Amino acid sequence: MNATVSVSHLTKSFGRFLAVKDVSFDVYPGEIFGLLGPNGAGKTTSIRMMLDIFKPDAGSVTIFGGEMTEAKKNRIGYLPEERGLYQDLKLEPTLVYLATLKGMDESEARRRIADWLKRLDLYEHRAKKVQELSRGMHQKVQIVSTLVHDPDLIVIDEPFAGLDPVNTRLIKDIFEEQREAGKAIVMSTHQMFQVEALCNRIVLIDKGVAVLYGEVGEIKRQFAGNAVTLEGQGDFEHLPGVLEVRRDNGAWHLALETGVSAQDVLRALARRDDVKIKRFEVAEPSLDDIFISVVSEGRPAEEEARGA
Amino acid sequence: MRNVLLVIKHEVQRTVGKPSFWIASFLFPMIIFALTFGSQLMARGMADGDSEKDFLDQVMGATAPGEAKPQGYVDLAGVVTTMPEGLPEGLLVAYPDEAAAQEAMDAGEIEQYYMLAKDFLKTGEVVLVQQRFSPFEQLDGGNVFEYVVTHNLTGDRDAAALLQNPMPSVVLERLAPAEDDEAGAGRPAGQSLAPMAMLFIFFFVLTMSSGYVLTSVTKEKENRIVEVLLSSLDPRQLMLGKIIGLSAVALLQMAIWLGVSLLVLREGSPLVGMVSTLVALTLPPGFLAWAVLYFVLGYLMFASALGAIGALAPTAREGSQFTFVTMLPLMIPMWFNTAFIEAPNGALVTFLSIFPLTAPVSMVARMVAVDVPLWQSLLSLGLVAATSYALVMLSARFFRADTLLSGAPISLQRLREALRRHSNV
Repeated sequence: MNATVSVSHLTKSFGRFLAVKDVSFDVYPGEIFGLLGPNGAGKTTSIRMMLDIFKPDAGSVTIFGGEMTEAKKNRIGYLPEERGLYQDLKLEPTLVYLATLKGMDESEARRRIADWLKRLDLYEHRAKKVQELSRGMHQKVQIVSTLVHDPDLIVIDEPFAGLDPVNTRLIKDIFEEQREAGKAIVMSTHQMFQVEALCNRIVLIDKGVAVLYGEVGEIKRQFAGNAVTLEGQGDFEHLPGVLEVRRDNGAWHLALETGVSAQDVLRALARRDDVKIKRFEVAEPSLDDIFISVVSEGRPAEEEARGA
Repeated sequence: MRNVLLVIKHEVQRTVGKPSFWIASFLFPMIIFALTFGSQLMARGMADGDSEKDFLDQVMGATAPGEAKPQGYVDLAGVVTTMPEGLPEGLLVAYPDEAAAQEAMDAGEIEQYYMLAKDFLKTGEVVLVQQRFSPFEQLDGGNVFEYVVTHNLTGDRDAAALLQNPMPSVVLERLAPAEDDEAGAGRPAGQSLAPMAMLFIFFFVLTMSSGYVLTSVTKEKENRIVEVLLSSLDPRQLMLGKIIGLSAVALLQMAIWLGVSLLVLREGSPLVGMVSTLVALTLPPGFLAWAVLYFVLGYLMFASALGAIGALAPTAREGSQFTFVTMLPLMIPMWFNTAFIEAPNGALVTFLSIFPLTAPVSMVARMVAVDVPLWQSLLSLGLVAATSYALVMLSARFFRADTLLSGAPISLQRLREALRRHSNV
């Protein structure tokens, strides 16, 4: 299957700051692809280069089988992280303007906008000014503007921000539908449980470099053993080789440093008299654990370098 | 091209759809006209009431006798033998030679002195020596000494007054069939009102319409919609659409201002005479074409500059702080507006009407005041066109994705970086 987007060895600097270094990934039709990373990692810059908003210093982007053109821009729906709408304009004309900029005929745009607004319970607000809408409504309006022109590539950055659980479910269903319809979706978010629920594959960027790339299941298997779940009494913090300790429904969840095994932790616990263990098992790591584990690995060296 | 047209349509609809546009278009010119023409009418009413005043008072102007600065003269021709009745004592001081007059001026006793040459009666040569050059001074205008010389040459007070002002109370009478009721009521006062009106109209419309570009760009940044737009179109397309779209708005506003001006003046009977004078008597042939050219080019110049500021500024508030500096050249002719009435062909007004940053306002105001030599109009227009082109090209360097998406404040470093760049981000 041909990739909808193929990002190859992208590099971009702003002055002396290296924002993205040698990042590569492919996104295929019919998948939701997770673009992950901590704040300032280079995700947004990578998206902007992918969409031809920024030009890369090195590397290339192949989109729909070639270079970006005006016509190809009309096949892309983009919901940026830094987003907004004309506050002093009414909802419907705003959406019509954005839809026509995506190549749509005005009458067709009006018809499709009406359908989307009805589906997202916004139709009765169509004549209101954007500034009169709630934050959640803003978010839904922007999702409408991202999807109204029926794009083949959908790029969404934090799509669930500001949504209540009911609307989150509604939007998730919409993205699932789009995937089933064969659209390629690139999703950037910090909500790892959403990534686990929706994404087929991910790339994790840290400090401008792609540090993880592949299928979610395969990545989780690679990191299995790097976390343990235990139940008991006592203080389970400050154990050697443990990156992070989290309590979850009465159980302790310990994310381990790379190279530290569950046996090492068990041995350390067995030597202590102040703890009682009821349950100890190797946990399948969550993406959250993997994210923290991978991102934290580089931190001590970085902090040391800063201190020097 | 389709995207540019969509941006143009959007900008026009968005700006014209705001109540503030219509308030600015109708209410603001009314206030300006009330202030400008009202004061002119009052001044004229006072002048009319003074028509019976002694001519000497008129040549001395509004200055009270006690406030008039003494002037000196050196009469080598022996023309000045008597002083007209009523001339305040000490206002004109005779000196035997130039050295004495110069010494008095250096000592601050007199403001200026005249030298009547020995062969004055043959050559008419008079030299005026002033302490400092004043570009607003009408060198050929009337003054006290000129009246005194005329009085001595004619030996008759009334004849001297008539020579000074041969047509003191001219009434224009239209002999050709009048096109409308007001046509015959033209008065010379319109000659001075027209340049003033043009200054005001061009200044305010250029300032406001250029400001629309700044507001439009900064609002899109503030509303954070700019990134969505950039995923559909190129930054240059966005800039082009905004500048063209808002130029249409500016032309509409200009048409409204001129239309409202004419309508108000037609309805207001005391002003009827002015409008006929303004329209029928003072506008040179082809003025409208010149005015449109200067307006469009002037708009391009300032709109692109403010657009660049909008691209750099993170908020409308920060952008507006730089508006004053950018629009300063347009204000200069406003500060010297009296020069456009008193000395429209003087050095200052000529310079202002040719210097490209002040020309869009100054040249149109000057054109309605006097006949401007064609070479000056063409030179000025050429310089304005070249400057507009350069500023549009320069501003395009600021209309880039990284500038538009940046939230950093305006700084000299960012300006330098933007000016150095040539290619897209």
